[in-house]
Amino acid sequence: MDCQAEVNCGLHLVIQTSPLPEKNKVEFKLNKDTSSFPGRLLQHDLERNYSSRQGDHINLVSSSLSSFPILQRSSEEKILYSDRLSLERQKLTVCPIINGEDHLRLLNFQHNFITRIQNISNLQKLISLDLYDNQIEEISGLSTLRCLRVLLLGKNRIKKISNLENLKSLDVLDLHGNQITKIENINHLCELRVLNLARNFLSHVDNLNGLDSLTELNLRHNQITFVRDVDNLPCLQHLFLSFNNISSFDSVSCLADSSSLSDITFDGNPIAQESWYKHTVLQNMMQLRQLDMKRITEEERRMASVLAKKEEEKKRESHKQSLLKEKKRLTINNVARQWDLQQQRVANIATNEDRKDSDSPQDPCQIDGSTLSAFPEETGPLDSGLNNALQGLSVVDTYLVEVDGDTLSLYGSGALESLDRNWSVQTAGMITTVSFTFIEFDEIVQVLPKLKIKFPNSLHLKFKETNLVMLQQFNALAQLRRIDQLTIDPQGNPVVNFTLWKYYVLFRLSHFSMQKINGTEVTQNDMIMAERLFGILAHVASSELPQYRLISILGDARKKQFRYLLESKGKKPGIINEENNDSKRLVGENTNRATLNYTTRDFYNEKLEEIKEKKKFCKTYIEDLVKEATEINMKNEALQKLWPQMFIELVRDAVIEIRNKNSYMKLCLQQITDQK
Amino acid sequence: MLSPERLALPDYEYLAQRHVLTYMEDAVCQLLENREDISQYGIARFFTEYFNSVCQGTHILFREFSFVQATPHNRVSFLRAFWRCFRTVGKNGDLLTMKEYHCLLQLLCPDFPLELTQKAARIVLMDDAMDCLMSFSDFLFAFQIQFYYSEFLDSVAAIYENLLSGKNPNTVIVPTSSSGQHRQRPALGEAGMLEGVEASLFYQCLENLCDRHKYSCPPPALVKEALSNVQRLTFYGFLMALSKHHGINQALGALPDKGDLMHDPAMDEELERLVVRSKLHRTSRPHRAKEPGAFGFQRREKQEALERVSSASVPTPYHYRWEPRE
Repeated sequence: MDCQAEVNCGLHLVIQTSPLPEKNKVEFKLNKDTSSFPGRLLQHDLERNYSSRQGDHINLVSSSLSSFPILQRSSEEKILYSDRLSLERQKLTVCPIINGEDHLRLLNFQHNFITRIQNISNLQKLISLDLYDNQIEEISGLSTLRCLRVLLLGKNRIKKISNLENLKSLDVLDLHGNQITKIENINHLCELRVLNLARNFLSHVDNLNGLDSLTELNLRHNQITFVRDVDNLPCLQHLFLSFNNISSFDSVSCLADSSSLSDITFDGNPIAQESWYKHTVLQNMMQLRQLDMKRITEEERRMASVLAKKEEEKKRESHKQSLLKEKKRLTINNVARQWDLQQQRVANIATNEDRKDSDSPQDPCQIDGSTLSAFPEETGPLDSGLNNALQGLSVVDTYLVEVDGDTLSLYGSGALESLDRNWSVQTAGMITTVSFTFIEFDEIVQVLPKLKIKFPNSLHLKFKETNLVMLQQFNALAQLRRIDQLTIDPQGNPVVNFTLWKYYVLFRLSHFSMQKINGTEVTQNDMIMAERLFGILAHVASSELPQYRLISILGDARKKQFRYLLESKGKKPGIINEENNDSKRLVGENTNRATLNYTTRDFYNEKLEEIKEKKKFCKTYIEDLVKEATEINMKNEALQKLWPQMFIELVRDAVIEIRNKNSYMKLCLQQITDQK
Repeated sequence: MLSPERLALPDYEYLAQRHVLTYMEDAVCQLLENREDISQYGIARFFTEYFNSVCQGTHILFREFSFVQATPHNRVSFLRAFWRCFRTVGKNGDLLTMKEYHCLLQLLCPDFPLELTQKAARIVLMDDAMDCLMSFSDFLFAFQIQFYYSEFLDSVAAIYENLLSGKNPNTVIVPTSSSGQHRQRPALGEAGMLEGVEASLFYQCLENLCDRHKYSCPPPALVKEALSNVQRLTFYGFLMALSKHHGINQALGALPDKGDLMHDPAMDEELERLVVRSKLHRTSRPHRAKEPGAFGFQRREKQEALERVSSASVPTPYHYRWEPRE
């Protein structure tokens, strides 16, 4: 029958009536227990099953009542292919009304331009519906197809999975090539075996519970970063996650709990580029038989477990390390806090002293050294109060000693005692850098001789938060054996703000020939400048001091060294020679600046206290001398005044006596005989 | 030496005036302290050296502050020693803060009080912005006034405060002509507080002060000279005038005139010798960088001067080397 169809919506169809040769009827069976095959293969199957010629027998008639074309088939067709209908590549934009075909089981709408699923609600026996490659934006119109088992909606424009509530028998659901962002509304599909969501916009996988029959899940070419709920799929065997955004195994950790998984792909993910990828996956998923489409061998499994053990070891090590680091950090923070407290307290005392001094009436002639408000550390009774306050702080250590290869780091004044420990010769010999933080420089000074002995190779000293405030303090460093580098951190060391500090250091410690100060190399010109600036000071300090002062100052320094050495080694007589040698070596430094010493505040005040007694004695002694001298002087002056008179009287007496020669002679002889 | 006035003084007064006892006591004290060392070469020699050093002015080096400020001679010696030792710093042109100058002072006297340095700095900076940089000569002259006359200055400060607050300790009769001048000034449109005090009134109080008290004060004639050009002055203005006055500086005798402050030929020669010696000691180290150093803090670069100096190996006469910098 020749029929021409003129459709209002512009569809034109040429229809042949010549009968088709009988094609190989491929029975399209929907078998529940077929072995799994990837979704796309299924697609091909379906495409192969339908010959494109079937469309030849279709008759689409326009209806004046609605805008939908009405489908009519010849009765021959209907009898031949009673349960299947193919409307492939028919340039359909809408689903036509299909009348009189209510027993249809397979319906093919591939490669059209259909935007909405409509007009098929009467086909309640439909088992397979193929809408591949259309323009469908929303899943709808399927609520009556309760027998549907295969639903192919690949390559459409579907944004959301919905309206599948009644399709409880669904076996294959193909939604690849759409715009789906979320897995939802499929939890009731307990007979679903194959789910294809490749080439969508999924960013994560979850909400998979209820899919008790799912054996194959295709999620290739999405943007998935993590996977969840897969362990709720009891039958899942094949999981394809190629070309997603998975970067760590943790984000897919649920896979380890899935006992049914045997085949998985991760290629094209960031995780596959990692060095630990293969063995981590193998180690965590012992049940796997195939990874990235390649079978897993025993050898690989063995390697995986070995490597995984190594990883474990490394992790444990690094965990330990990080714990240690944390402890160190806490300790250092604690030390820093204590240091700050101490500095604040000391500053408060200083301001209090200042105020006191300004209030008290000043005797003009008595501005003596008692205005030592700049040196607050001398306050004795304060220290005990400070200690009590500090003990109230947390139980964490109050100091830290750290040896890191060639660096010895000391935090907090308690750390100085650690220099007394028995350091192995090897460790001590390796130390070339010693760093002091949160320790008063005056305390460090007292410990320098110990440093010299115990760590003979220490060439680089670093000071941070050590209260270096005076150029004088650098004099104390002269007693060391050698310094190549000096680093004074500006933090907590106000001396760095002085313009001349580096030159002074170079000048005073010129015998060390230092190479670097605070990271900058020392040049010839710097040394010359230092010499120019302070050379005269050295000259004055050595040549203009009277001899006895020189001896006493140098003697003081030597005595101090002995004191420390004796304290540390105990007073053993056999060691005295060694100490003498040491002191002789001291003289090796540039002697013209050896008199520039630094005495810590405490020692200085101690000395002044000691001298007070002597001064008092001297005063009284001199006063006595003066009294004596003035008495003698007075007597002398009195004598001077009286003497002329006395002399005249003496002469007069003598002259009177001798006036009468005869009687004088008789008197003398008488005196002589009387004497006998 | 044996002038009649000297002999006319009673003994105690004579001793006190020359501070003989201070030196005697100190000498004996030093002797006691360093008994073991001194016994090696004899007490007589010790006393010789001691008094020699007192005469030369080197006895105050590295001594405690109580001794350094005990007598005017000590103070003068200390000022002179400070000048000699750190003249090179000034010559270099560096401007330092008050704290740094204090540090330098402490190099010579470990327990020198910060207060004095602060007061000296206030004179230079006119009591303003205490963190400012000061030149060596400014600081030195101000420090001289502050240190040598510290007791005097304290009393002057008290007098100034009194005058400022209107209390006049002396009933001084001011000649009517000049007082008329003074009273007119407020009418010239300066409403509110006038700065400072009247110079002449101030000077008269000072004169009384100098008469009354025994400790050293600047020669009144010179003070009058310093005040001659001004009608009114502030406390720090007065001190600044004192410090800049050449006559007072010469009367003190510790420091040379401002123009000659950087000149000390004898020391310069000595310095050259030291520098050459240190250079020779250092040229044996080949790895030291020869380029000018960059210590990275603000200083005027003196590359040309340094390079010229370092190239000369034979010490040439000093006046070809150093360009005096003010």
